[in-house]
Amino acid sequence: MRNSAPMWRVVKAVALAAFVVFVSLPLVQMTMISFVATLAHPDTPLGAVTLRNYSAILTDPNLRSAFANSIAYVVINICITVPVAIPAAYAFSRLSFVGDKHLFLAFIAFRITPPVVLTLPIFQLFSSLGIVNSVFGIALAHCLFNLPISIWIMQGFISAVPKEMDETAFLDGYSRRGFIWKILLPQIAPGIAVTGFFCFMFSWVEVVFARILTTTNGKPISMALNALFGFQTDIGLVMAVTVASMLPGAALLFAMRGHLSRGFKVGQV
Amino acid sequence: MKSRDNTGWIFVLPAALVLGLVGLIPLMTVVNYSFFEIFILDARFWVGLEWYADIITSGRFWASFGRSTLFSMLILTVQIPLGIAIALCIPQRKTWVGISLAVVALPLLVPWNMIPSLWLALMNPDSGILGRMLGGLGWPVDWKLSIPHTWAVVIAMDVWHWTSLVVILCYSALTTIPQSHYQAAAIDGAGPWQVFRHIQLPQLYHVLLMAVLLRFMDSFMIYTEAFPINAGGPDGATMFLAVDLGEEIKAFNYGPSAARSVIYFLIVLMVAYSFSKAQSKLSDRQPA
Repeated sequence: MRNSAPMWRVVKAVALAAFVVFVSLPLVQMTMISFVATLAHPDTPLGAVTLRNYSAILTDPNLRSAFANSIAYVVINICITVPVAIPAAYAFSRLSFVGDKHLFLAFIAFRITPPVVLTLPIFQLFSSLGIVNSVFGIALAHCLFNLPISIWIMQGFISAVPKEMDETAFLDGYSRRGFIWKILLPQIAPGIAVTGFFCFMFSWVEVVFARILTTTNGKPISMALNALFGFQTDIGLVMAVTVASMLPGAALLFAMRGHLSRGFKVGQV
Repeated sequence: MKSRDNTGWIFVLPAALVLGLVGLIPLMTVVNYSFFEIFILDARFWVGLEWYADIITSGRFWASFGRSTLFSMLILTVQIPLGIAIALCIPQRKTWVGISLAVVALPLLVPWNMIPSLWLALMNPDSGILGRMLGGLGWPVDWKLSIPHTWAVVIAMDVWHWTSLVVILCYSALTTIPQSHYQAAAIDGAGPWQVFRHIQLPQLYHVLLMAVLLRFMDSFMIYTEAFPINAGGPDGATMFLAVDLGEEIKAFNYGPSAARSVIYFLIVLMVAYSFSKAQSKLSDRQPA
Protein backbone atom coordinates (compact mmCIF):
# COMPACT_ATOMS: atom_id res chain seq x y z
CA MET A 1 0.00 0.00 0.00
CA ARG A 2 1.53 3.27 1.13
CA ASN A 3 5.30 3.57 1.57
CA SER A 4 5.44 4.80 5.14
CA ALA A 5 8.53 5.81 7.05
CA PRO A 6 10.24 2.86 8.79
CA MET A 7 9.62 4.33 12.26
CA TRP A 8 5.92 4.60 11.56
CA ARG A 9 5.90 0.98 10.47
CA VAL A 10 7.53 -0.08 13.74
CA VAL A 11 4.94 1.84 15.76
CA LYS A 12 2.18 0.06 13.87
CA ALA A 13 3.74 -3.36 14.36
CA VAL A 14 4.16 -2.74 18.10
CA ALA A 15 0.55 -1.54 18.46
CA LEU A 16 -0.78 -4.55 16.60
CA ALA A 17 1.38 -6.90 18.66
CA ALA A 18 0.13 -5.31 21.89
CA PHE A 19 -3.46 -5.77 20.76
CA VAL A 20 -2.84 -9.39 19.79
CA VAL A 21 -1.35 -10.01 23.25
CA PHE A 22 -4.41 -8.41 24.84
CA VAL A 23 -6.74 -10.55 22.73
CA SER A 24 -4.74 -13.70 23.48
CA LEU A 25 -4.47 -13.33 27.27
CA PRO A 26 -7.90 -14.74 28.25
CA LEU A 27 -7.57 -17.38 25.54
CA VAL A 28 -4.17 -18.48 26.84
CA GLN A 29 -5.58 -18.63 30.36
CA MET A 30 -8.49 -20.70 29.11
CA THR A 31 -6.24 -23.12 27.24
CA MET A 32 -3.93 -23.50 30.23
CA ILE A 33 -6.77 -24.38 32.59
CA SER A 34 -8.24 -26.78 30.05
CA PHE A 35 -5.17 -29.03 30.39
CA VAL A 36 -5.28 -29.15 34.19
CA ALA A 37 -7.25 -31.55 36.38
CA THR A 38 -9.31 -29.15 38.47
CA LEU A 39 -11.17 -31.87 40.37
CA ALA A 40 -9.38 -34.77 41.99
CA HIS A 41 -9.91 -38.07 40.20
CA PRO A 42 -8.75 -41.52 41.30
CA ASP A 43 -6.06 -41.67 38.64
CA THR A 44 -5.21 -37.97 38.25
CA PRO A 45 -4.34 -35.82 41.27
CA LEU A 46 -5.65 -32.26 41.57
CA GLY A 47 -3.61 -29.81 39.52
CA ALA A 48 -1.93 -32.41 37.32
CA VAL A 49 -1.46 -31.64 33.65
CA THR A 50 -3.77 -33.96 31.78
CA LEU A 51 -5.75 -34.58 28.63
CA ARG A 52 -8.65 -36.06 30.56
CA ASN A 53 -10.82 -32.93 30.12
CA TYR A 54 -10.66 -33.36 26.37
CA SER A 55 -11.24 -37.08 26.46
CA ALA A 56 -14.27 -36.42 28.69
CA ILE A 57 -15.82 -34.41 25.86
CA LEU A 58 -15.64 -37.42 23.58
CA THR A 59 -17.13 -39.81 26.10
CA ASP A 60 -19.91 -37.64 27.52
CA PRO A 61 -23.07 -38.20 25.43
CA ASN A 62 -24.56 -34.86 26.55
CA LEU A 63 -21.55 -32.94 25.31
CA ARG A 64 -21.39 -34.89 22.08
CA SER A 65 -25.03 -34.21 21.30
CA ALA A 66 -24.53 -30.55 22.26
CA PHE A 67 -21.89 -30.19 19.55
CA ALA A 68 -24.18 -31.92 17.05
CA ASN A 69 -27.06 -29.62 18.02
CA SER A 70 -24.98 -26.47 17.68
CA ILE A 71 -23.74 -27.46 14.25
CA ALA A 72 -27.27 -28.44 13.19
CA TYR A 73 -28.98 -25.21 14.18
CA VAL A 74 -26.25 -22.99 12.73
CA VAL A 75 -26.39 -24.85 9.42
CA ILE A 76 -30.20 -24.60 9.35
CA ASN A 77 -29.98 -20.91 10.20
CA ILE A 78 -27.58 -20.25 7.33
CA CYS A 79 -29.80 -22.28 4.98
CA ILE A 80 -32.77 -20.09 5.86
CA THR A 81 -30.95 -16.77 6.08
CA VAL A 82 -28.82 -16.74 2.95
CA PRO A 83 -31.46 -17.69 0.33
CA VAL A 84 -33.92 -15.23 1.87
CA ALA A 85 -31.34 -12.47 2.18
CA ILE A 86 -30.04 -12.60 -1.41
CA PRO A 87 -33.23 -11.43 -3.20
CA ALA A 88 -33.90 -8.86 -0.48
CA ALA A 89 -30.36 -7.50 -0.77
CA TYR A 90 -30.77 -7.37 -4.54
CA ALA A 91 -33.99 -5.39 -4.21
CA PHE A 92 -32.54 -2.93 -1.69
CA SER A 93 -29.45 -2.50 -3.83
CA ARG A 94 -30.97 -2.16 -7.29
CA LEU A 95 -34.65 -1.29 -7.09
CA SER A 96 -36.56 1.59 -5.63
CA PHE A 97 -39.98 0.52 -4.40
CA VAL A 98 -42.70 1.98 -2.25
CA GLY A 99 -41.65 1.92 1.38
CA ASP A 100 -38.14 0.59 0.79
CA LYS A 101 -36.51 2.95 3.28
CA HIS A 102 -39.09 2.24 5.96
CA LEU A 103 -38.76 -1.48 5.47
CA PHE A 104 -34.99 -1.24 5.78
CA LEU A 105 -35.44 0.78 8.95
CA ALA A 106 -37.73 -1.92 10.36
CA PHE A 107 -35.17 -4.59 9.52
CA ILE A 108 -32.44 -2.63 11.29
CA ALA A 109 -34.72 -2.13 14.28
CA PHE A 110 -35.17 -5.89 14.60
CA ARG A 111 -31.43 -6.48 14.39
CA ILE A 112 -30.77 -4.18 17.32
CA THR A 113 -33.74 -5.34 19.38
CA PRO A 114 -32.25 -7.10 22.42
CA PRO A 115 -33.33 -10.78 22.35
CA VAL A 116 -34.37 -10.59 26.00
CA VAL A 117 -37.22 -8.26 24.94
CA LEU A 118 -38.77 -10.98 22.78
CA THR A 119 -37.90 -14.13 24.74
CA LEU A 120 -41.30 -14.70 26.34
CA PRO A 121 -43.54 -14.26 23.27
CA ILE A 122 -41.12 -16.17 21.05
CA PHE A 123 -41.21 -19.03 23.51
CA GLN A 124 -45.04 -18.99 23.48
CA LEU A 125 -45.26 -18.69 19.72
CA PHE A 126 -42.77 -21.46 19.14
CA SER A 127 -44.48 -23.74 21.68
CA SER A 128 -47.75 -23.35 19.83
CA LEU A 129 -45.94 -24.11 16.58
CA GLY A 130 -44.35 -27.13 18.24
CA ILE A 131 -40.75 -26.12 17.55
CA VAL A 132 -39.36 -25.62 21.04
CA ASN A 133 -36.68 -28.02 22.24
CA SER A 134 -35.57 -28.48 18.67
CA VAL A 135 -32.66 -27.12 16.71
CA PHE A 136 -35.12 -25.73 14.18
CA GLY A 137 -36.59 -23.36 16.74
CA ILE A 138 -33.23 -21.84 17.63
CA ALA A 139 -32.31 -21.59 13.97
CA LEU A 140 -35.50 -19.69 13.22
CA ALA A 141 -35.24 -17.39 16.24
CA HIS A 142 -31.69 -16.43 15.28
CA CYS A 143 -32.98 -15.09 11.96
CA LEU A 144 -34.11 -12.09 13.99
CA PHE A 145 -30.57 -10.73 14.07
CA ASN A 146 -28.85 -12.71 11.30
CA LEU A 147 -31.25 -11.87 8.49
CA PRO A 148 -30.91 -8.06 8.72
CA ILE A 149 -27.13 -8.31 9.03
CA SER A 150 -26.97 -10.66 6.05
CA ILE A 151 -29.06 -8.35 3.89
CA TRP A 152 -26.80 -5.52 4.91
CA ILE A 153 -23.55 -7.30 4.07
CA MET A 154 -24.84 -8.87 0.87
CA GLN A 155 -26.21 -5.56 -0.33
CA GLY A 156 -22.72 -4.09 -0.15
CA PHE A 157 -21.41 -6.88 -2.36
CA ILE A 158 -24.25 -6.53 -4.86
CA SER A 159 -23.82 -2.77 -5.03
CA ALA A 160 -20.15 -3.34 -5.89
CA VAL A 161 -21.20 -5.20 -9.06
CA PRO A 162 -21.40 -2.57 -11.81
CA LYS A 163 -24.93 -1.70 -12.88
CA GLU A 164 -23.87 -2.06 -16.54
CA MET A 165 -23.69 -5.79 -16.00
CA ASP A 166 -27.44 -5.90 -15.31
CA GLU A 167 -28.19 -3.87 -18.40
CA THR A 168 -26.00 -5.96 -20.70
CA ALA A 169 -27.59 -9.13 -19.36
CA PHE A 170 -31.10 -7.82 -19.96
CA LEU A 171 -30.12 -6.79 -23.49
CA ASP A 172 -28.76 -10.31 -24.00
CA GLY A 173 -32.22 -11.61 -23.21
CA TYR A 174 -31.75 -12.75 -19.62
CA SER A 175 -34.81 -12.55 -17.42
CA ARG A 176 -34.25 -11.01 -14.00
CA ARG A 177 -34.29 -14.43 -12.41
CA GLY A 178 -31.86 -15.75 -14.98
CA PHE A 179 -29.59 -12.79 -14.38
CA ILE A 180 -29.56 -13.36 -10.61
CA TRP A 181 -28.88 -17.09 -10.95
CA LYS A 182 -26.39 -17.13 -13.79
CA ILE A 183 -24.56 -13.83 -13.52
CA LEU A 184 -25.05 -12.15 -10.16
CA LEU A 185 -24.60 -15.15 -7.87
CA PRO A 186 -21.17 -16.15 -9.23
CA GLN A 187 -20.11 -12.51 -8.93
CA ILE A 188 -21.08 -12.26 -5.27
CA ALA A 189 -19.89 -15.72 -4.22
CA PRO A 190 -17.29 -14.25 -1.82
CA GLY A 191 -20.08 -12.14 -0.35
CA ILE A 192 -22.16 -15.23 0.29
CA ALA A 193 -19.20 -16.82 2.05
CA VAL A 194 -18.64 -13.72 4.20
CA THR A 195 -22.35 -13.55 5.02
CA GLY A 196 -22.43 -17.22 5.97
CA PHE A 197 -19.45 -16.66 8.22
CA PHE A 198 -21.11 -13.75 10.01
CA CYS A 199 -24.28 -15.81 10.48
CA PHE A 200 -22.21 -18.59 11.98
CA MET A 201 -20.37 -16.17 14.24
CA PHE A 202 -23.43 -14.46 15.68
CA SER A 203 -25.51 -17.62 15.96
CA TRP A 204 -22.95 -20.07 17.37
CA VAL A 205 -22.28 -18.04 20.50
CA GLU A 206 -25.78 -16.71 21.25
CA VAL A 207 -27.23 -17.64 24.60
CA VAL A 208 -30.55 -15.94 25.36
CA PHE A 209 -32.74 -17.62 22.72
CA ALA A 210 -30.76 -20.82 22.98
CA ARG A 211 -31.57 -20.99 26.68
CA ILE A 212 -35.31 -20.36 26.60
CA LEU A 213 -35.95 -22.51 23.55
CA THR A 214 -34.20 -25.63 24.88
CA THR A 215 -35.49 -26.65 28.28
CA THR A 216 -35.40 -30.40 27.72
CA ASN A 217 -33.96 -31.19 24.31
CA GLY A 218 -31.82 -29.75 21.56
CA LYS A 219 -29.38 -28.06 23.95
CA PRO A 220 -26.46 -26.40 22.16
CA ILE A 221 -22.90 -26.13 23.46
CA SER A 222 -23.52 -22.93 25.41
CA MET A 223 -26.27 -24.63 27.41
CA ALA A 224 -24.23 -27.78 27.91
CA LEU A 225 -21.57 -25.47 29.35
CA ASN A 226 -24.12 -23.91 31.69
CA ALA A 227 -25.13 -27.35 32.87
CA LEU A 228 -21.52 -28.06 33.88
CA PHE A 229 -21.64 -25.33 36.51
CA GLY A 230 -22.84 -26.64 39.82
CA PHE A 231 -21.93 -27.33 43.41
CA GLN A 232 -18.54 -28.68 42.35
CA THR A 233 -17.66 -27.17 39.00
CA ASP A 234 -14.96 -28.92 37.02
CA ILE A 235 -13.60 -25.67 35.61
CA GLY A 236 -10.93 -27.56 33.64
CA LEU A 237 -13.65 -29.43 31.76
CA VAL A 238 -15.59 -26.17 31.25
CA MET A 239 -12.54 -24.56 29.68
CA ALA A 240 -11.81 -27.63 27.54
CA VAL A 241 -15.37 -27.56 26.18
CA THR A 242 -15.00 -23.84 25.48
CA VAL A 243 -11.75 -24.42 23.60
CA ALA A 244 -13.37 -27.23 21.62
CA SER A 245 -16.39 -25.04 20.88
CA MET A 246 -14.11 -22.48 19.28
CA LEU A 247 -12.38 -24.94 16.97
CA PRO A 248 -15.01 -25.07 14.18
CA GLY A 249 -15.15 -21.27 14.13
CA ALA A 250 -11.39 -20.97 14.14
CA ALA A 251 -11.15 -23.42 11.22
CA LEU A 252 -13.79 -21.46 9.35
CA LEU A 253 -12.01 -18.20 10.15
CA PHE A 254 -8.78 -19.64 8.81
CA ALA A 255 -10.49 -20.80 5.64
CA MET A 256 -12.22 -17.44 5.28
CA ARG A 257 -9.20 -15.25 5.98
CA GLY A 258 -8.63 -14.49 2.30
CA HIS A 259 -12.22 -13.37 1.79
CA LEU A 260 -12.24 -11.28 4.93
CA SER A 261 -9.02 -9.54 4.02
CA ARG A 262 -10.13 -8.80 0.47
CA GLY A 263 -12.57 -6.33 1.88
CA PHE A 264 -16.17 -5.36 1.45
CA LYS A 265 -18.31 -2.29 1.78
CA VAL A 266 -21.46 -2.32 3.79
CA GLY A 267 -24.63 -1.60 1.93
CA GLN A 268 -26.67 1.56 2.15
CA VAL A 269 -30.17 2.37 1.07
CA MET B 1 -29.69 5.61 -10.12
CA LYS B 2 -31.99 2.91 -8.92
CA SER B 3 -34.93 2.06 -11.11
CA ARG B 4 -38.41 2.69 -9.78
CA ASP B 5 -39.88 -0.78 -9.63
CA ASN B 6 -42.41 -2.13 -7.17
CA THR B 7 -41.57 -5.73 -8.03
CA GLY B 8 -38.90 -5.09 -5.40
CA TRP B 9 -41.55 -6.12 -2.90
CA ILE B 10 -41.59 -9.65 -4.29
CA PHE B 11 -37.87 -9.89 -3.64
CA VAL B 12 -38.07 -8.66 -0.07
CA LEU B 13 -41.23 -10.60 0.75
CA PRO B 14 -39.54 -13.78 2.06
CA ALA B 15 -37.33 -11.72 4.37
CA ALA B 16 -40.30 -9.67 5.53
CA LEU B 17 -42.28 -12.84 6.27
CA VAL B 18 -39.48 -14.40 8.33
CA LEU B 19 -38.94 -11.21 10.31
CA GLY B 20 -42.70 -10.83 10.68
CA LEU B 21 -42.83 -14.25 12.31
CA VAL B 22 -39.85 -13.96 14.65
CA GLY B 23 -39.97 -10.20 15.15
CA LEU B 24 -43.27 -8.48 14.53
CA ILE B 25 -45.69 -11.08 15.95
CA PRO B 26 -43.74 -11.50 19.21
CA LEU B 27 -43.45 -7.74 19.47
CA MET B 28 -47.21 -7.29 19.11
CA THR B 29 -47.75 -9.94 21.77
CA VAL B 30 -45.55 -8.00 24.14
CA VAL B 31 -47.42 -4.78 23.38
CA ASN B 32 -50.67 -6.56 24.16
CA TYR B 33 -49.42 -8.00 27.47
CA SER B 34 -48.07 -4.66 28.59
CA PHE B 35 -51.59 -3.36 29.26
CA PHE B 36 -52.65 -6.27 31.46
CA GLU B 37 -52.17 -7.62 34.93
CA ILE B 38 -51.42 -11.28 34.28
CA PHE B 39 -51.43 -13.98 36.97
CA ILE B 40 -51.47 -16.91 34.62
CA LEU B 41 -51.80 -16.43 30.91
CA ASP B 42 -55.54 -17.23 30.96
CA ALA B 43 -56.43 -14.93 33.85
CA ARG B 44 -55.69 -11.30 33.24
CA PHE B 45 -57.30 -7.93 33.52
CA TRP B 46 -56.80 -4.59 31.87
CA VAL B 47 -54.65 -2.09 33.72
CA GLY B 48 -54.09 0.40 30.89
CA LEU B 49 -50.91 2.39 31.20
CA GLU B 50 -50.28 1.52 34.83
CA TRP B 51 -47.11 -0.52 34.22
CA TYR B 52 -45.70 2.21 32.02
CA ALA B 53 -46.39 4.83 34.67
CA ASP B 54 -44.73 2.62 37.30
CA ILE B 55 -41.59 2.19 35.21
CA ILE B 56 -41.27 5.79 34.06
CA THR B 57 -41.65 7.12 37.60
CA SER B 58 -39.35 4.56 39.23
CA GLY B 59 -35.93 5.75 40.29
CA ARG B 60 -34.56 2.32 39.55
CA PHE B 61 -35.41 2.54 35.84
CA TRP B 62 -33.70 5.89 35.41
CA ALA B 63 -30.69 4.73 37.43
CA SER B 64 -30.30 1.72 35.13
CA PHE B 65 -30.89 3.93 32.12
CA GLY B 66 -28.12 6.25 33.27
CA ARG B 67 -25.74 3.37 33.94
CA SER B 68 -26.41 1.79 30.55
CA THR B 69 -25.93 5.13 28.80
CA LEU B 70 -22.65 5.77 30.58
CA PHE B 71 -21.50 2.23 29.84
CA SER B 72 -22.32 2.53 26.12
CA MET B 73 -20.58 5.89 25.86
CA LEU B 74 -17.43 4.51 27.48
CA ILE B 75 -17.56 1.44 25.24
CA LEU B 76 -17.90 3.54 22.08
CA THR B 77 -15.14 5.92 23.18
CA VAL B 78 -12.74 3.02 23.56
CA GLN B 79 -13.83 0.55 20.90
CA ILE B 80 -14.36 2.77 17.88
CA PRO B 81 -11.00 4.65 17.92
CA LEU B 82 -9.17 1.49 18.99
CA GLY B 83 -10.85 -0.53 16.24
CA ILE B 84 -9.89 2.06 13.60
CA ALA B 85 -6.33 2.25 14.92
CA ILE B 86 -5.83 -1.51 14.87
CA ALA B 87 -7.37 -1.80 11.40
CA LEU B 88 -4.84 0.79 10.22
CA CYS B 89 -2.03 -1.18 11.86
CA ILE B 90 -2.81 -4.48 10.15
CA PRO B 91 -0.09 -4.90 7.55
CA GLN B 92 -1.00 -4.91 3.89
CA ARG B 93 1.35 -7.75 2.95
CA LYS B 94 -0.86 -10.64 1.93
CA THR B 95 0.30 -13.46 4.18
CA TRP B 96 0.10 -11.50 7.39
CA VAL B 97 -3.31 -9.98 6.77
CA GLY B 98 -5.26 -13.21 7.01
CA ILE B 99 -3.43 -14.44 10.08
CA SER B 100 -3.73 -11.11 11.91
CA LEU B 101 -7.44 -10.89 11.16
CA ALA B 102 -8.04 -14.49 12.19
CA VAL B 103 -6.28 -14.06 15.55
CA VAL B 104 -7.95 -10.75 16.24
CA ALA B 105 -11.38 -12.26 15.53
CA LEU B 106 -11.03 -15.17 17.96
CA PRO B 107 -12.92 -13.51 20.87
CA LEU B 108 -16.01 -13.35 18.66
CA LEU B 109 -16.15 -17.15 18.70
CA VAL B 110 -16.38 -17.62 22.47
CA PRO B 111 -19.87 -18.59 23.72
CA TRP B 112 -21.23 -15.47 25.42
CA ASN B 113 -21.98 -17.16 28.71
CA MET B 114 -18.31 -18.19 28.97
CA ILE B 115 -16.89 -14.71 28.54
CA PRO B 116 -17.36 -13.73 32.19
CA SER B 117 -15.85 -17.07 33.25
CA LEU B 118 -12.77 -16.46 31.11
CA TRP B 119 -12.30 -13.01 32.61
CA LEU B 120 -12.88 -14.17 36.16
CA ALA B 121 -10.27 -16.88 35.60
CA LEU B 122 -7.90 -14.30 34.13
CA MET B 123 -8.40 -11.84 37.00
CA ASN B 124 -8.17 -14.45 39.75
CA PRO B 125 -5.58 -13.04 42.20
CA ASP B 126 -4.08 -16.47 42.92
CA SER B 127 -4.14 -18.27 39.60
CA GLY B 128 -5.05 -15.78 36.87
CA ILE B 129 -2.35 -14.40 34.57
CA LEU B 130 -3.63 -10.84 34.80
CA GLY B 131 -4.72 -11.07 38.44
CA ARG B 132 -1.25 -12.17 39.54
CA MET B 133 0.46 -9.63 37.32
CA LEU B 134 -1.58 -6.74 38.69
CA GLY B 135 -1.22 -8.07 42.24
CA GLY B 136 2.54 -8.24 41.75
CA LEU B 137 2.55 -4.62 40.60
CA GLY B 138 0.71 -3.67 43.77
CA TRP B 139 -2.64 -2.99 42.07
CA PRO B 140 -4.87 -5.81 43.25
CA VAL B 141 -8.18 -5.80 41.39
CA ASP B 142 -11.18 -6.00 43.66
CA TRP B 143 -14.15 -6.55 41.37
CA LYS B 144 -16.30 -7.82 44.22
CA LEU B 145 -16.49 -4.70 46.36
CA SER B 146 -15.05 -1.78 44.43
CA ILE B 147 -17.38 -0.12 41.94
CA PRO B 148 -14.64 1.38 39.70
CA HIS B 149 -12.86 -1.97 39.57
CA THR B 150 -16.03 -3.85 38.61
CA TRP B 151 -16.70 -1.33 35.86
CA ALA B 152 -13.11 -1.59 34.67
CA VAL B 153 -13.41 -5.37 34.42
CA VAL B 154 -16.74 -5.23 32.56
CA ILE B 155 -15.41 -2.61 30.15
CA ALA B 156 -12.14 -4.46 29.57
CA MET B 157 -14.17 -7.60 28.93
CA ASP B 158 -16.44 -5.91 26.40
CA VAL B 159 -13.50 -4.21 24.68
CA TRP B 160 -11.82 -7.58 24.45
CA HIS B 161 -14.97 -9.23 23.14
CA TRP B 162 -16.14 -6.75 20.53
CA THR B 163 -13.31 -4.46 19.33
CA SER B 164 -12.48 -7.17 16.79
CA LEU B 165 -15.78 -6.61 15.03
CA VAL B 166 -14.92 -2.94 14.56
CA VAL B 167 -11.46 -3.95 13.33
CA ILE B 168 -12.84 -6.42 10.75
CA LEU B 169 -15.40 -3.96 9.43
CA CYS B 170 -12.93 -1.07 9.23
CA TYR B 171 -10.24 -3.20 7.67
CA SER B 172 -12.66 -4.41 5.01
CA ALA B 173 -13.62 -0.86 4.10
CA LEU B 174 -9.96 0.26 4.02
CA THR B 175 -9.07 -2.39 1.45
CA THR B 176 -11.62 -0.94 -0.98
CA ILE B 177 -9.59 2.29 -1.29
CA PRO B 178 -7.96 2.34 -4.74
CA GLN B 179 -4.17 2.41 -4.71
CA SER B 180 -4.25 5.50 -6.93
CA HIS B 181 -5.67 7.58 -4.08
CA TYR B 182 -2.56 6.91 -2.01
CA GLN B 183 -0.28 7.63 -4.94
CA ALA B 184 -2.01 10.93 -5.54
CA ALA B 185 -1.66 11.78 -1.86
CA ALA B 186 2.04 10.91 -1.94
CA ILE B 187 2.56 13.20 -4.93
CA ASP B 188 0.84 15.99 -3.04
CA GLY B 189 3.19 15.33 -0.12
CA ALA B 190 0.43 14.40 2.32
CA GLY B 191 1.53 13.14 5.74
CA PRO B 192 0.02 10.13 7.54
CA TRP B 193 -2.54 12.30 9.33
CA GLN B 194 -3.72 13.97 6.13
CA VAL B 195 -3.96 10.62 4.38
CA PHE B 196 -6.05 9.34 7.25
CA ARG B 197 -8.23 12.44 7.46
CA HIS B 198 -8.93 12.91 3.75
CA ILE B 199 -8.59 9.47 2.19
CA GLN B 200 -9.05 6.71 4.76
CA LEU B 201 -11.60 8.19 7.13
CA PRO B 202 -14.15 9.20 4.45
CA GLN B 203 -14.04 5.62 3.17
CA LEU B 204 -14.84 4.41 6.67
CA TYR B 205 -17.91 6.57 7.32
CA HIS B 206 -20.55 4.04 6.26
CA VAL B 207 -18.93 1.11 7.97
CA LEU B 208 -18.34 3.16 11.11
CA LEU B 209 -21.97 4.15 11.22
CA MET B 210 -22.86 0.47 11.22
CA ALA B 211 -20.20 -0.30 13.83
CA VAL B 212 -21.42 2.51 16.08
CA LEU B 213 -25.02 1.35 15.74
CA LEU B 214 -24.22 -2.28 16.57
CA ARG B 215 -21.84 -1.49 19.37
CA PHE B 216 -24.05 1.18 20.89
CA MET B 217 -27.18 -0.94 20.96
CA ASP B 218 -25.51 -4.19 21.96
CA SER B 219 -23.62 -2.57 24.83
CA PHE B 220 -26.64 -0.50 25.87
CA MET B 221 -28.56 -3.76 26.24
CA ILE B 222 -25.69 -5.87 27.59
CA TYR B 223 -27.14 -8.89 29.36
CA THR B 224 -25.41 -12.26 29.23
CA GLU B 225 -21.91 -10.98 29.86
CA ALA B 226 -22.34 -8.32 32.53
CA PHE B 227 -24.36 -10.10 35.19
CA PRO B 228 -22.12 -13.07 36.14
CA ILE B 229 -19.15 -10.83 36.94
CA ASN B 230 -20.70 -9.56 40.13
CA ALA B 231 -24.46 -10.30 40.00
CA GLY B 232 -25.19 -6.65 39.24
CA GLY B 233 -23.18 -5.44 42.20
CA PRO B 234 -21.48 -4.05 44.08
CA ASP B 235 -24.53 -2.32 45.43
CA GLY B 236 -26.37 -2.49 42.06
CA ALA B 237 -23.60 -0.60 40.27
CA THR B 238 -23.68 -2.94 37.28
CA MET B 239 -27.46 -3.37 37.01
CA PHE B 240 -27.97 -2.44 33.38
CA LEU B 241 -31.28 -2.06 31.55
CA ALA B 242 -31.44 -5.56 30.10
CA VAL B 243 -30.41 -7.10 33.43
CA ASP B 244 -33.41 -5.41 35.08
CA LEU B 245 -35.69 -6.84 32.40
CA GLY B 246 -34.17 -10.29 32.80
CA GLU B 247 -34.85 -10.19 36.54
CA GLU B 248 -38.45 -9.19 35.90
CA ILE B 249 -38.97 -12.06 33.45
CA LYS B 250 -37.39 -14.55 35.85
CA ALA B 251 -39.88 -13.39 38.49
CA PHE B 252 -42.76 -14.10 36.03
CA ASN B 253 -44.05 -10.52 36.15
CA TYR B 254 -45.54 -10.75 32.67
CA GLY B 255 -47.26 -7.36 32.57
CA PRO B 256 -44.44 -5.20 33.94
CA SER B 257 -41.79 -7.06 31.93
CA ALA B 258 -43.86 -6.59 28.77
CA ALA B 259 -44.20 -2.87 29.42
CA ARG B 260 -40.47 -2.65 30.01
CA SER B 261 -39.86 -4.54 26.76
CA VAL B 262 -42.03 -2.08 24.86
CA ILE B 263 -40.16 0.86 26.35
CA TYR B 264 -36.86 -0.73 25.32
CA PHE B 265 -38.20 -1.33 21.84
CA LEU B 266 -39.17 2.35 21.57
CA ILE B 267 -35.56 3.21 22.43
CA VAL B 268 -34.48 0.77 19.69
CA LEU B 269 -36.78 2.48 17.19
CA MET B 270 -35.44 5.93 18.03
CA VAL B 271 -31.86 4.71 17.62
CA ALA B 272 -32.67 2.98 14.32
CA TYR B 273 -34.40 6.13 13.09
CA SER B 274 -31.46 8.40 13.88
CA PHE B 275 -29.20 5.83 12.25
CA SER B 276 -31.17 5.89 9.01
CA LYS B 277 -31.23 9.71 9.09
CA ALA B 278 -27.47 9.77 9.52
CA GLN B 279 -27.11 7.25 6.72
CA SER B 280 -29.12 9.23 4.20
CA LYS B 281 -27.18 12.36 5.14
CA LEU B 282 -23.95 10.51 4.38
CA SER B 283 -25.28 9.20 1.08
CA ASP B 284 -26.30 12.72 0.04
CA ARG B 285 -22.85 14.04 0.78
CA GLN B 286 -20.88 11.41 -1.09
CA PRO B 287 -22.78 9.59 -3.82
CA ALA B 288 -21.44 6.06 -3.49
